[in-house]
Amino acid sequence: MRNYEIMFIVSPNAPEEDIDKINGQIEGVITAGGGKAEKIEKLGKRRLAYTVKKFREGSYVLFTIQADGAIVREIERRLRVMDLVIKYLTVRMDDDMKRLDKIKAHRQKRATRRGRAHAESGDRRGPSPAEQMPEE
Amino acid sequence: MAIQKQYYRRKKVCKFCVERIDNINYKDVKLLSQFVPERAKIMPRRISGVCTPHQRLLSDAIKKARNIALLPFATE
Repeated sequence: MRNYEIMFIVSPNAPEEDIDKINGQIEGVITAGGGKAEKIEKLGKRRLAYTVKKFREGSYVLFTIQADGAIVREIERRLRVMDLVIKYLTVRMDDDMKRLDKIKAHRQKRATRRGRAHAESGDRRGPSPAEQMPEE
Repeated sequence: MAIQKQYYRRKKVCKFCVERIDNINYKDVKLLSQFVPERAKIMPRRISGVCTPHQRLLSDAIKKARNIALLPFATE
């Protein structure tokens, strides 16, 4: 199982119900394949940066899912077939998430270490020279 | 006799390192568009001052954003 984000653009003159219908279909594909749709977001209408199939704007939809490659392949195939969907993009997120977690953990570790070092340095500075002296 | 130009160039710093932005996401158009000048090209590191690892993430994100029409490939 991997985490993916699937973003697609639905034609701007598609009514809200059609978008919901597409979302429902895709969710069906995910659950049927044993995956999980974590989040379905309708990002609303946006101007496109360039014309796609002669459209200047489109409604964006974002799926955040947990699924296998086979499910993603099936979803992409369906999106390609649908006339209302003018563009789609699948991005694998788990590597990215792993990277972010690592950075976060690293930051936290450093922050705690720095905090502790500050606290200890005050105590250690006093006795250590005195302890060294008799040994010499 | 060579006359040395006496101007001070400010040291460029990586925006992502300074502001601790870890997540360079393709959906964050506001952030990405700062690194896409008018011609819609990706701003080179020598101008923006972004460090190598972050520039790599940034260019990947910009390319993904272009693919889903959030950012342009070229100006029309």
